[in-house]
Amino acid sequence: MSLHLTRGALAARLTIFAALLLTALVMLVPVYYMAVVSNEPNQSNLSAVWFHGFHFFHNIRLALTSHTYLRELLNSFIMSGGIAFLDVAIAGSAGYVLATMRFPGRRILFATIVATLALSPVAVVIPVYVMMFKIHWLNTYQGLIIPGMASAFGVFLVRQFAAGIPRQVIDAARLDRASEFRILLSVIMPLIRPALLTLFLLDFLAQWDNLLWPLVVASNPNYWTVAVGLASFSGEHGTLYSLLAATALVSAIPPFLLFVALQRYYVSGLTLGGLKG
Amino acid sequence: MVYFAVFWLFPLGLAAYYSFTDYNLVQSPRWIGLQNYRNLASDTEFKHSVVVTALFTAGFVIPTVLLALLIATPLSRAKRGNVFLRSLFFVPAVMPLVASAILWQLIYQTDGLANTVLRWLGFAPVAWLTSPSVALWALVAMVVWKYLGLYILILTAGLQSVPTSVYHAAALDGAGPLRTFFKITLPLIRRTLLFVVVVAIIGAAQAFVPVYILTSGGPATATEVLPIYLFNNAFSYTAMGYASAIAMVLLIALVALSLIQFRIFRTGDE
Repeated sequence: MSLHLTRGALAARLTIFAALLLTALVMLVPVYYMAVVSNEPNQSNLSAVWFHGFHFFHNIRLALTSHTYLRELLNSFIMSGGIAFLDVAIAGSAGYVLATMRFPGRRILFATIVATLALSPVAVVIPVYVMMFKIHWLNTYQGLIIPGMASAFGVFLVRQFAAGIPRQVIDAARLDRASEFRILLSVIMPLIRPALLTLFLLDFLAQWDNLLWPLVVASNPNYWTVAVGLASFSGEHGTLYSLLAATALVSAIPPFLLFVALQRYYVSGLTLGGLKG
Repeated sequence: MVYFAVFWLFPLGLAAYYSFTDYNLVQSPRWIGLQNYRNLASDTEFKHSVVVTALFTAGFVIPTVLLALLIATPLSRAKRGNVFLRSLFFVPAVMPLVASAILWQLIYQTDGLANTVLRWLGFAPVAWLTSPSVALWALVAMVVWKYLGLYILILTAGLQSVPTSVYHAAALDGAGPLRTFFKITLPLIRRTLLFVVVVAIIGAAQAFVPVYILTSGGPATATEVLPIYLFNNAFSYTAMGYASAIAMVLLIALVALSLIQFRIFRTGDE
C-alpha cells in the first residue's frame, strides 16, 4: 500500500528535514569549536572560530612534555579495562549461575543484587572510601579497580540473557560428558557473547568517565586517570586552552573507537542500561 | 556474591550507621543519634542545595524529553536520510562526559565561543560561569546538549515499535499529523516516555561530573547540587557523619524513583 504524497506534503517533509538538519549541525558546532581551539597556534586564544593552520600535534606534544598525560592515559586504560574485564568475568559467571543452576536461596540472592541497582554510587562512596582508607588502599591500583569490579547491572544483564538458553543445549553437552567448565567455555560463552560484549562496552565507557571515585581514592597524581587530570588541568596550567582542548580530544578517542567497534551492542544494551540510572 | 556484600550491602549499612554519628576519620565515630538529621533540617545551605538540584533536574529533564520527542517523531521513519541525521544528533553522546565538560568550559570562558556568538548578534557578553543567576542554566544547556542524542535514540526505538499499519489506518481515516501524534503516537509510546523521564530524573539528580568540572558548585553556592554538597562535606571538611546523612536523604529519593522505574520496566513488555 502506498500513500500518495501531494506537493504540499512533500514540501512539508522537506521543510522538516531541513529544520532537523540545521538543528543537528548547530549541535555539532561545539565539536567543531573544539577542533579549532585544539589547532590554535596561540594557545590562549579562545575567540577563534576558523582554523589558523594545523597545530594539533604541536599542541599535543607540548601537553605531553609539560604534563603527566601519558601516565594518566595508561591509568585510565588500567582502570576502565580492568573493571570492564573483571566485571565481564565475575558478573558474567554469576549471572550464568543464577540463570541455569538451582540452589536454595537463589531467588533471594538475585533479588538482593537487583536491589543494589537502585543504589547510587554517591550513596556508598563515603563508606567505601573509609574502607580503602582503613586497609591502606588509597593511591593504589587495587583501590581504583576492586570496588568497581562487579556490577549488579552486569549480573542482571547476563542472567536475563542466559535464562533464554534452552536447557536441552546444556543437557546435551552433559550427556557428551563435557565438564562444567568445558560447557561454560565452549557452549555457553558463544551463546551469551553479545551480553558480555555489551557489558564490556558499557563498563568501559562508564569507567572512562568516572571522575568521582578516582578523585576520591587517588590524591597522588601517579594514580590519576585522564578524567582527574583534565578536571585539574586549569588549576595547573592556567590558560593554555589549546593544550586542554587537544588533550580532551585525545581522551575521547579510545572510547570512541571502542564504541564504533561494538556499536550494535550499544543500542541493545541501552534500554536495559537505563536501569543503571 | 561475597563481593556485593562487601562493596554494596556492608557500605550501605555503614553509611546508615555513619549518618547517626560524628565522624572525622581521625577519631572513631561517635554516636549522636538523629543530630545530623536535625542539623540538616535547619541547614539553609542544604535546603538551598535541594532547590538547586530540583531546578537542575527539571531544567534538564523537561527540555531534553520534549526536544527528543519533537525530533525523534519525524526521525523514526526508516529512511536513509533519517539514519544519517540520527547519527549526527548522537555525536555529543559519544563524546566522553569529562571531555564534553572541558569543551563547554572553554565555550563559556569570557572570550569563548558563547560570547563570540553573542557579539556577532550584537549582544553584550555574559559571565556564563561566574554569574550566580546564569551559571546553573549554563550547566543545564551543556547537559541537554550532551544527552539529547541519547534520548532521541531511546525514543526512536520506542516509536519504531509502533506498527506502521496503525499510521496507515489513521491516514485513511483522514487524521492530520498533529491529531495522529496526540491521539495515536503519544498513547502508544506512553511507557517508553515514562521510562525515559524517570531515567533522566535519576541521572540528573546525581549529576556530579559536569558540575564539578564547570563550576565546582560556584559561584558561591549557586550551582551546589546535592552530590557536590555531599562531596564537599565528606572530602573537604571530613564531616563523614554529616555527609552520610546527606547520602541517605539522596538515596531514599533515588530509591523511590527507581522503584517507580522498575515497576514500569516490569509491566512494560517492550
